[in-house]
Formats: sequence, structure tokens, C-alpha cells
Amino acid sequence: MQFNSSDSGSSLQSEINITPLVDVVLVLLIIFMVVVPLLMEGYDVDIPRASADTSAPVAESQLILGIGATACPILTPPAGEGIPKDCQVTLADQKIPVAELPGRVATILRGRPAEQRALFLAVDDRLNYEAVLRIIDLAKSGVEDLKIEFVAAN
Amino acid sequence: MQAAINITPLVDVVLVLLIIFMVMAPQMRKGPDVNLPNTTKPNAQGDERGRILVSIDEAGGLWINDQSVAAEHFDEALRAAVGAETNPKIVIRGDAKLNFREVREVMVAIEQTGFRGVGLIAKRTGTEGK
Repeated sequence: MQFNSSDSGSSLQSEINITPLVDVVLVLLIIFMVVVPLLMEGYDVDIPRASADTSAPVAESQLILGIGATACPILTPPAGEGIPKDCQVTLADQKIPVAELPGRVATILRGRPAEQRALFLAVDDRLNYEAVLRIIDLAKSGVEDLKIEFVAAN
Repeated sequence: MQAAINITPLVDVVLVLLIIFMVMAPQMRKGPDVNLPNTTKPNAQGDERGRILVSIDEAGGLWINDQSVAAEHFDEALRAAVGAETNPKIVIRGDAKLNFREVREVMVAIEQTGFRGVGLIAKRTGTEGK
């Protein structure tokens, strides 16, 4: 594009050529459209050991979160967001409202080295799965790198 | 003198691609449609390709990737799906309506087949997902 006196009057093209930009954007669009729906989100958990192991005594330092079906009666998918207020859980043998869970877990585990920041879950079989995941979500919101392990519920 | 690029054909092509991908994307997903639990901040679990997807549908039926499996053949089917992979990543897509028991039984079955650790798949509140 030259500044000739002959064409500067009527046909000087001052616009940026956007074609390569559009090409790149389109390719990115396509890549993301293919990949994004396939990405998943969730929670890493350790699964209960085979039944032979469950009788082993639980070490003192293990932080156990008990979710019972009488103290926390969520048997159908909870409506809306969060967990109903009347849900109580048992953290280290203390009964607490579920809303206090992130703070308590953070207080107890803060001083521990990262590899010991684990929460052991004993969950009643009758509870709704979505409610259990929401309680895990809540517990994890107190401690970033919290490890979740299930213990066999009785 | 027309200095602007004619973008009409470009837009045509883009829209066609957009429509093609919108139609194709849900079908590229593995496994049955599962109404995943909603939570506020699930962690990234990566791309579903390269994961072994164990799905539990609303009725408690088990699926490994695209195939429905009976509970009594679950361990063989899981071993077959894992194949020679040494460190398989297994995720559970459980329906929000399930009891915890049904999910726990699957977790135990996975553990008994010899694999440690699973991801429980959720979807972020307010997003689309199946």
C-alpha cells in the first residue's frame, strides 16, 4: 500500500487486513467447540478398601466426617443450591451444623502437612448421592488440597 | 471503490461449521445420558477421552463407557475396558437421584477389581452438562 498522490484521494485503504485474524479465531473456535464439551469436573476420592481391611483400627489422627440419615435427612436430591440448613454432620465425634463444616475442617487440618490433610467419610447408604457430593464440595472449600477417602459405612 | 472485504461467504462457512459441531458434540460423548449432581466448585477431571467412564443411570444400571453391563459381570467388563493400561483413570458418573449406596457399591466393585481412586463427576451449578 503506497502513498501515491494519485490514489490517496479516493482509494487509500486504511483498514487492517483482518482475514488472518479471522482464520486463527475460527480455528480456535473449532478446537474449543470440540474439546470443551468433553471436559469433566468432579472430585477425586479414594474408595473403600475391600471388606477385609475395614476392621482395621482407625488411627487417632484421622479426621472422620460422619453423615447420618437421621441427623442429615436428605434422601432426595436437594432443591436449588447448597445443603438444607437442618443437616447436621459429625466431625471428629462432634455434632455440628453442616454450614460450619468448612471452618472446622480448616481449623483442624491447617497445622498438618499436606499429605495428612485427609478427610475420612462415613456416609449413610440411604443418603442422596447429590447431597453427599455437595457436602464433599463444602468440606473442600475450607481446605484446597483436601484428600477425600471413604470408609465403609455401617 | 469498495475497500471492505466481502465477508458473507466467510460467515456462511462459519455458521455451517457451528451448526455441524453443535449437532455432533453431544453425540461424541461417551456413555448414557446421566443427570449429574450439581455442586458449586468441582475440580477439573480432564478430558473424557483417556478416562474409563463408569456411569450409573437413574435406575441404578451400570455402564462402562458406551456399554451397559450387568452388575455380576462388572469386574470382567472393567478389566476388559482397562486392557493393558497400567495406570487407568476411572471416573464415576452417577445420577443425582441415586442413593449413596448404589455409588458406594460401584466404588467397592472398582476397588475389588484392583484399582485405587476414582473421580466422582459432578457439574458446576448453572452449567449445561449431561
